[in-house]
Amino acid sequence: MAVTAPADGLALATRGLRKSYGSRLALDGLDLTVPTGIVYGFLGPNGAGKTTTMRLLAGLIHPDGGTIQLLGSPFGRRDRHRLFDVGALIESPSFYPFLSGRQNLRELAATGAPVPIRRVDELLELVGLNGRDDDKVSGYSLGMKQRLGIAAALLSDPKLLLLDEPANGLDPAGIVAMRDMLRNLASTGKTVFVSSHLLGEVQQMVDMVGIIAAGRLVKEGTIDSLLAGEGLVRARVMPDQVPAAVEALSTLVERARIDTPADEPGWLVVQIAADRAADVSRTLATASIYVAGLESGNDLESLFLALTRTARTDGGEGSIGSRAAAPKTGPNWPAGGAPR
Amino acid sequence: MRIYASGLRKLLRRPATWVTLGLLCGLMVLIFVAVGASANRIESTNGGAAIKELLTFPGAYDRLLEFLLGLGGLFAVIYAASVAGSEWNWGMLKAAVARGESRTAYAWLSFAAVATLIALGLLVAFAIGVVAAVIGANLAGISTSGIGDAATIGQFPYEFARGWLGIIEEGALGFTIATLARSQLAGIGAGIGLYFAESFARIFLSSVVKFLPFDAATALVGGGTSGISVGGGGAGASVETLDPGTALVVVIAWLVVALIVVSLFTERAEISG
Ligand SMILES: Nc1ncnc2c1ncn2[C@@H]1O[C@H](COP(=O)(O)OP(=O)(O)O)[C@@H](O)[C@H]1O
Ligand SMILES: [Mg+2]
Repeated sequence: MAVTAPADGLALATRGLRKSYGSRLALDGLDLTVPTGIVYGFLGPNGAGKTTTMRLLAGLIHPDGGTIQLLGSPFGRRDRHRLFDVGALIESPSFYPFLSGRQNLRELAATGAPVPIRRVDELLELVGLNGRDDDKVSGYSLGMKQRLGIAAALLSDPKLLLLDEPANGLDPAGIVAMRDMLRNLASTGKTVFVSSHLLGEVQQMVDMVGIIAAGRLVKEGTIDSLLAGEGLVRARVMPDQVPAAVEALSTLVERARIDTPADEPGWLVVQIAADRAADVSRTLATASIYVAGLESGNDLESLFLALTRTARTDGGEGSIGSRAAAPKTGPNWPAGGAPR
Repeated sequence: MRIYASGLRKLLRRPATWVTLGLLCGLMVLIFVAVGASANRIESTNGGAAIKELLTFPGAYDRLLEFLLGLGGLFAVIYAASVAGSEWNWGMLKAAVARGESRTAYAWLSFAAVATLIALGLLVAFAIGVVAAVIGANLAGISTSGIGDAATIGQFPYEFARGWLGIIEEGALGFTIATLARSQLAGIGAGIGLYFAESFARIFLSSVVKFLPFDAATALVGGGTSGISVGGGGAGASVETLDPGTALVVVIAWLVVALIVVSLFTERAEISG
């Protein structure tokens, strides 16, 4: 999942993007940097501003401030033609209920960039709707509509694909198929910008993530760099040895990266790459402090929760709850082996 | 052009199109056939003369047109509002704009498709109406010898053009209201409300109301003569209407204003539904 060098340009960049709905601030100076040819996971809890960002990128609404760069040039009110190279599925897919899936794609193709008519068949096949393509959309299940929505977003063979929570309503097989498809698109040089409020949903397919909370970017980078920078190692020592242990660990990491949670006497939480647990143990042993317990975690989900929880300013529309910042369990992130 | 052709295809597959046309034709057939069938029983009473007038060609052509254009106006308001509103309700404008389509082009060409379908609908409904009137006349035992009256038939293109213009202006109003309301139901409701509000206000304020869109359209359709007033109720001798020439100018002005409002609003709208 190597990120192609940003040298070949950015597919998408925003700087200081601001947007309010009436008095409600939805985006508060958003800076996104999305290199070409990757799958970018745009993560945030409900109400964080993901859909608002997508609407701005698709020209449905206009920013109160800040700039958008789309496929290498500025995108403003007069640049609708730029969207000929962009495909979008924003919030819920939209269709005429009285038309079939095929007819809907055909009529959608009458707008925007011209589309060769056989493209409709290819896409119906791609999203697995052939067989049901002549049924009215009013008879489609949620997941089928979602598949058709993804097909609609791909209609013009876009260079940049904007997908707002595309996994909504998809069954597990559908999600796996979508991951495959998006990875394939990225491997052909296209850029996929996909939002989700569930890290686990996109973790296995993204090269890079941007985490947004309360309208601001709180973290952006490759999954690997996030894990490296945000890994946690928890060590347990005798409570009376804690000050000495902190002293000893200060030689390994900055003092500010060591936490001693008051509600867990004897525990030290060190912000260090998860695979350096042995270093923590060795450092303490050198100071004649022997650990009674050692856990390492880079559970991105916890990191995601911690990041988005602290950045929340208002109640939004869904409360994330008050999970502790540090993972209490060992690594439980389902890595690697998941179906591709 | 792609959007216009697509608009026609969509409307032809839309159940509302056929329901609207079916209702219009059904009502017409019902009235002409029912009147014809009951003519023998009413003949002795004072309604007899009116029935004879309704079913005797070539006069029947005029009655038919008046009925069609009067009721057609109301139907056009509802139909066009439903088409414009559903673009918002179903998120289809969103889909088109996100594909880089021009908002104004999309809205105007969608309306052009509606206007085209209204023309086709009028022709179909008129043909069905003529058949109904012939059946009605036969049931009533009235001769249909005037059906080929060349002078009347020669006027058809002119009358149709005027009637169509009046009706699409009324449709444009429904289209605009639904666009402003961004909703099918609100558009239909407000459209019907305005239609009847205007015909009610006409009773008291006809010197002003005659310039309003529905009245101007009615004047255009009726060619300045008093026709069958649908929903008008109080269309009496004291009511002022525009002369046909002025009515034409006023109707075109309203049509243009409605389309400009649609464009301005659609261009500026935040599509965040
Ligand atoms: N159409 C709208 N009108 C008013 N407020 C809105 C609208 N859409 C979103 N918001 C508000 O803007 C904020 C961001 O919403 P949104 O972008 O939909 O978040 P997300 O997609 O991340 O869940 C929320 O507080 C939401 O309530
Ligand atoms: Mg959202």
